[in-house]
Amino acid sequence: MIRSISLTRRLTLTVLLLEVLCALALIGAITIHERHTQLRAFDATLQATAYSLMGAVQDADDEADNVLLDMRGVQLGRDAIFRVQEGNGKVLGSKGDLPQLKGSISDAAPFRNVDVHGRSYRFILLHGLRIVDPGTPGGGVPHAVTIIYGTPVDHVWHEVVEAIRFFAIATAILLGFTAAGMVFLLRAGLAPLRELAYEAERITSISWQFEAPASAKELKELWPLAQALEAALARLQRSFQQQKRFTSDAAHELKTDVAIVKSSLQLLSMRRRTADEYTRGLDLILDDFVRLEMTVQKMLTLARLEQPAESSPQVCSLREVIEEAVHQSMPFAEIKEVSVVVQIADDVHIPVDRRDAVLLCSNILLNALQHSPAGSTVRVELAFKEGTARLTVRDEGEGIQEEDRSHLFEPFYRGDSSRSRKSGGTGLGLSICKAICERAGGSIEIANSPAGGALVTVTLPSAPAGVDHPVSAWIKQA
Amino acid sequence: MRVLLIEDEERLAENIMAALRETGLAVDHAPDGKTGSYLAQQDVYDAIVLDLMLPLKSGQLVLRDLRREKLHTPVLILTAQEGKASIVELLNAGADDYLSKPFDLGELLARVKALIRRAKGVSTPVLEVADLELNTVQQLVRRRGQTLDLSPTEYRILEYLIHRPRAIVSKQELLEHLYDFEWEHHSNVIEAHVSNLRRKLNIAGTEPLIETLRHRGYRLREERHA
Repeated sequence: MIRSISLTRRLTLTVLLLEVLCALALIGAITIHERHTQLRAFDATLQATAYSLMGAVQDADDEADNVLLDMRGVQLGRDAIFRVQEGNGKVLGSKGDLPQLKGSISDAAPFRNVDVHGRSYRFILLHGLRIVDPGTPGGGVPHAVTIIYGTPVDHVWHEVVEAIRFFAIATAILLGFTAAGMVFLLRAGLAPLRELAYEAERITSISWQFEAPASAKELKELWPLAQALEAALARLQRSFQQQKRFTSDAAHELKTDVAIVKSSLQLLSMRRRTADEYTRGLDLILDDFVRLEMTVQKMLTLARLEQPAESSPQVCSLREVIEEAVHQSMPFAEIKEVSVVVQIADDVHIPVDRRDAVLLCSNILLNALQHSPAGSTVRVELAFKEGTARLTVRDEGEGIQEEDRSHLFEPFYRGDSSRSRKSGGTGLGLSICKAICERAGGSIEIANSPAGGALVTVTLPSAPAGVDHPVSAWIKQA
Repeated sequence: MRVLLIEDEERLAENIMAALRETGLAVDHAPDGKTGSYLAQQDVYDAIVLDLMLPLKSGQLVLRDLRREKLHTPVLILTAQEGKASIVELLNAGADDYLSKPFDLGELLARVKALIRRAKGVSTPVLEVADLELNTVQQLVRRRGQTLDLSPTEYRILEYLIHRPRAIVSKQELLEHLYDFEWEHHSNVIEAHVSNLRRKLNIAGTEPLIETLRHRGYRLREERHA
């Protein structure tokens, strides 16, 4: 079983996946940005507090002009650790367990992250100069003060996580809406497809009526499909009707031939007859039967020719074929007192089975002879031009009626409506010719020649010359 | 009785004509619809056998034109077409019967005869007038149980007269309905045949059946004179 794939589901999932990827990228970018912003704010706070600590270093008002740390008015962060130290190593004030910062912290890179008792802290190093009594001569007493201040950074991470959570929730809601919207829109958008399928489903072998629904035709994407379906069905219907007509015509033809044989037999058996009567009757029945056989044979030939060729066709010499066809039709030409003039400029090899080629030529020739008045001439000409062979057969008969022209190659069509089956043959000859030509990729047409009479033109592609098939030799012997 | 066969298929027409003639019917043949239509409208036929697919004029048109001319000759259609629809259409257009090809020649003959009988107002194959009995199937004539030996022409004259009891049938009418175009005929041929027929019918103890009306024709008397 073929796994069915839902286009709706596929598209929805694809869009959602893309959306999730976008959201993830966005959240990543936001995380980086947020962390950066939060750290900057954090650093600013650290710096501000460090400066306020610096500000808290004040004149001790003693003899030695010392400084002390006055912590009033200094707002320290939660769990803050700090140390205020003078240049000579004297600690003015401290809080918490300050870790060893080694030499990694400097004026150039005043911030440093350090773990203190398993907690991540960020420290700032600030160097300052406090001058006691700057107004006195000598410029007062300078005190170099070093401040190290740090607070835990987990607060920053908390903010970042909050931001991420907000975006994640927003994304989830967006995804939900997108999914619902996609499903709805796709359903609505694919409705014409379902309507088209419904219309197509109504086609049966009896009712071929199909017109793509307007909704399908309006859709730019569906229009080619609707168009293709309509065209394909129209073609199918045409060929179906052709087949049907052929079948019904064939049935009519066969029934008539069978009716003749049957009535001949029944007439003979109506009463006892003399031996002479029986002999004559049987001869007639045999003739009737031969005609029935001929009809069947031609139908089978046509059926065979209308099948696609199984293997690559044989190649035969058109000159030899024409000569054979002319030879075959000589007795008929003599009876009709019609002379046949053959003019072959150049020999051409055509990709047609030799037997079919002879059938083609003799059919056209017999057709021309049939319509030729006594004493007239049938001209057969073969010319070769640009890879195609052109065979023309011209008679001096009454030509063809314009209204018959388009029907002449239809099976069982008999040109002149006053002509009965007797002279018109089975009405399959030209259909067979057409089938042979088309099978070889050529064409056949009938027109009235300017000089009067019908002109049959057969155009056939030429096969690569010089290919000599043993088959043609074999047929010649047969 | 005279039948018109309109059929373009020459061999089939030959066979049907031969069979119809062998049963004692006069047959004319038209090889196309135009000729057929013209002949049919002469109103001399007792039945028409009509093929549908005809050159020059289709069987349907021949039938339509015949009925338009208010001619009620029974028509048997020969068709090779399938489908009930066309048959219904044909019967509605005025056809009396139809046969599909390939048909049975015997059936065709039986149907043609039945059509002729029915058109003359008779529905059984055995006709009786007074003490005369005529079997149209076996072509036997009996009078008072005695079988009469009639020539084919005599039989046909009698059959025609029996189909038209009490009516005066002119020599011209007899000629038209008993002979087809292939016969050389003169009106005195009829007279000779009628006189022979009258003689053969006249067995002992019976009254003459066929009346001759001068310059008008013949009449079959249905009842015995009291």
